[in-house]
Amino acid sequence: MIWLTWRQHRRQVWFTLAALAALAALMVPTGLSMWGAFDDLKLGDCLARIPTAPADPAEAMPCSTALTNFRSSYQTMNLVGVLMLFLPLLIGLFWGAPLVAREIEHGTHRFAWTQGVSRRRWMLVKFGLVGAATLTASVAYGLGMSWWLTPLARAGQSRMNLVAFDMQGIVPIGYTLFAVALGVFAGTVWPKVLPAMAATLVGVIGLRIVLTTLARRHYQPAEAVTFPVVGATDSNPAAGDWVLGRGVRDASGRMVIPGIQVGCPSDAPGCAAELGLGDGAYNWLLLQPAERFWLFQTIEFGIYAALAVVLLALAMRRVRRIA
Amino acid sequence: MIEFVLDGRSKVNTYNQLVQQVKQALRVGLLAPGDQLPKVREVAQSLAINPNTVLKAYRELEIEGLAEGRPGVGTFIKHDLARAALPNQAQLREELLAWLKRAQDDGLTRDDIRALVETTMRAGFKRD
Amino acid sequence: MDTALEAGRLGKRYARHWALRECSLRVPAGRIAALVGPNGAGKSTLLHLAVGLLRPDAGSIRVFGQDPHGNTGALADIGFVAQETPLYEDFTAEELSRAGSKINRRWDSEVVRQRLTRVGVPMGKAVGKLSGGQRAQVALALALAKQPRLLLLDEPVASLDPLARKEFLQSLMGSVAESGTSVLLSSHLLADLERVCDYVIVLNSGRLRLCGPVDDLIAEHKQLVGPRNGGTPIAGVRSVIRASHTDRQSTLLVRTTGEIEDPDWAVHDVTLEDLVLAHLAEGAAEAVEVAA
Repeated sequence: MIWLTWRQHRRQVWFTLAALAALAALMVPTGLSMWGAFDDLKLGDCLARIPTAPADPAEAMPCSTALTNFRSSYQTMNLVGVLMLFLPLLIGLFWGAPLVAREIEHGTHRFAWTQGVSRRRWMLVKFGLVGAATLTASVAYGLGMSWWLTPLARAGQSRMNLVAFDMQGIVPIGYTLFAVALGVFAGTVWPKVLPAMAATLVGVIGLRIVLTTLARRHYQPAEAVTFPVVGATDSNPAAGDWVLGRGVRDASGRMVIPGIQVGCPSDAPGCAAELGLGDGAYNWLLLQPAERFWLFQTIEFGIYAALAVVLLALAMRRVRRIA
Repeated sequence: MIEFVLDGRSKVNTYNQLVQQVKQALRVGLLAPGDQLPKVREVAQSLAINPNTVLKAYRELEIEGLAEGRPGVGTFIKHDLARAALPNQAQLREELLAWLKRAQDDGLTRDDIRALVETTMRAGFKRD
Repeated sequence: MDTALEAGRLGKRYARHWALRECSLRVPAGRIAALVGPNGAGKSTLLHLAVGLLRPDAGSIRVFGQDPHGNTGALADIGFVAQETPLYEDFTAEELSRAGSKINRRWDSEVVRQRLTRVGVPMGKAVGKLSGGQRAQVALALALAKQPRLLLLDEPVASLDPLARKEFLQSLMGSVAESGTSVLLSSHLLADLERVCDYVIVLNSGRLRLCGPVDDLIAEHKQLVGPRNGGTPIAGVRSVIRASHTDRQSTLLVRTTGEIEDPDWAVHDVTLEDLVLAHLAEGAAEAVEVAA
């Protein structure tokens, strides 16, 4: 049964390995180049010297220049990174959706299930091996992406931000497992490859959008951080955090200027009054702190992995009943 | 060894065709006592017919005393047709020829004669 | 005597529609049985139930006494070729045999090699590239490699040209002669099966119409031609299967209890085809079953 599964998916395996190799051929040189630039510009030292506590802006200047240089050189790399978001979906479409659907569409289940293996064993081996293969692939590109993104992340791109979060850590593995499981399940509901792929596409994109935009901000209660309008010492108190909301509130807490922060130098007292801000006005930030990165990664991974398990169990139930 | 053929359009059923072909071969001299008949498997395969049909034909030949089966080896011709002939055949044949002449003189056609023979046989044989 | 296949009031339903209903039949071992009926009669349903792909909604089905559903032990004794011979298109016959040896308890790859060499089918070519006749030979070889006691074939020759059809049936008959395997093969064309089967099962609209050994059925049924008969019983006739009348004459296809002695009636033998068609005709009498 193991040999049969391997032989059936042999071409798919070669193709996936080739695709991953092509990906690596693209990502490794660019990654090395970014790491190289990062080290050349001594950005590591820079960032180490800037503590997260308030510091003198003048000291931060040379590092700021270096950071700006780096960012402008590699800004477009972010676009490449976004392409990576589609990898879990592609794996789900080409490994998950055809798994059961192709077998039934071509009628070969009438061959496979009338030999000497039970449907249960057939499912366990097929789902197990394909699951293991896709898991391995997703670990590979998950780790690879994390390595590739690190210079950009440390240069000010918050790991917690929407797209960056999705591309690194363990969540790509969760997305992949979910996409494959959804593909397999879709194949048991619409036992033809193209409709199953369509359903998988809609399902993966739909759920990803819903969970990312609606659920992620609520994994833990958000923290509110405030700092004064005048004489702020910390130029970027939310560096690396995921900012959910910002604004300027007056002394009573009412939102006066939503969406921006105001920083008046301590030696320009009329600044605040010009903006219509009374005494006691303060900057307000609602955020998820950067320290929660791994916690959030684990929670999100857990959600997608749990969904994958449920979908696979449902798929197994449906396969038992197929005519 | 002889080879069987089948006439798809004949009303005679398959196993009877096989029996007739063996008898014909014996009459003509293509088969003699001691000759082996084709193996069941080969006949079934070459004609694409049920092996049981071939077995039935061979069994019929055994019952008529024309052939004998040797387990593990095959089916062989045992006696010639003449030796298995029914007794008094020559006399019956003569009487039949006389009767036929009378029927023809009475004006019966071939089909009339055939119908008469069939209905009488049905009634006659039943009494046995 | 061993029973290869037994169905007891078997029924299968798809939503509101019964594909097979109240089907009770018995096929003895060592027979080559033909399953005939028009498209949609329930032939594939019966075969899929026999091989455990479907579970009955009513009644039961047993192969050599065992329930085939979810029973890999029973499956080891059943060889099955589905309609359109589904095989993994990019596998070669060699690889299919290898797959078979891995997922079956009993497998003789020599059977596959010898059979395919004998009929000239290349073992190393992807089966998707073979002709219809060659694919059918591969599927048959794979089914026989399991050394089954019962072989189930769903319309195996339906899409084959006459030469391929003949070669397939030749191959099949050769195997059965060697191994004594019981066979149940379906077709919507009786002509394909007439010389091959010694047992016949006729289905129509999900119901059993006729079932029994061919020789006995033919011996028991006759066609009577005689004066117009409005339904008065005739000596020796058990039941009338089909009747057609002109103003003067009646032609009846009947099941007999013995010889027809009534001189009014001309008695003719029937062919299997006549018999099957009569039972498939509308208004035909209740099902005829003859024990083997």
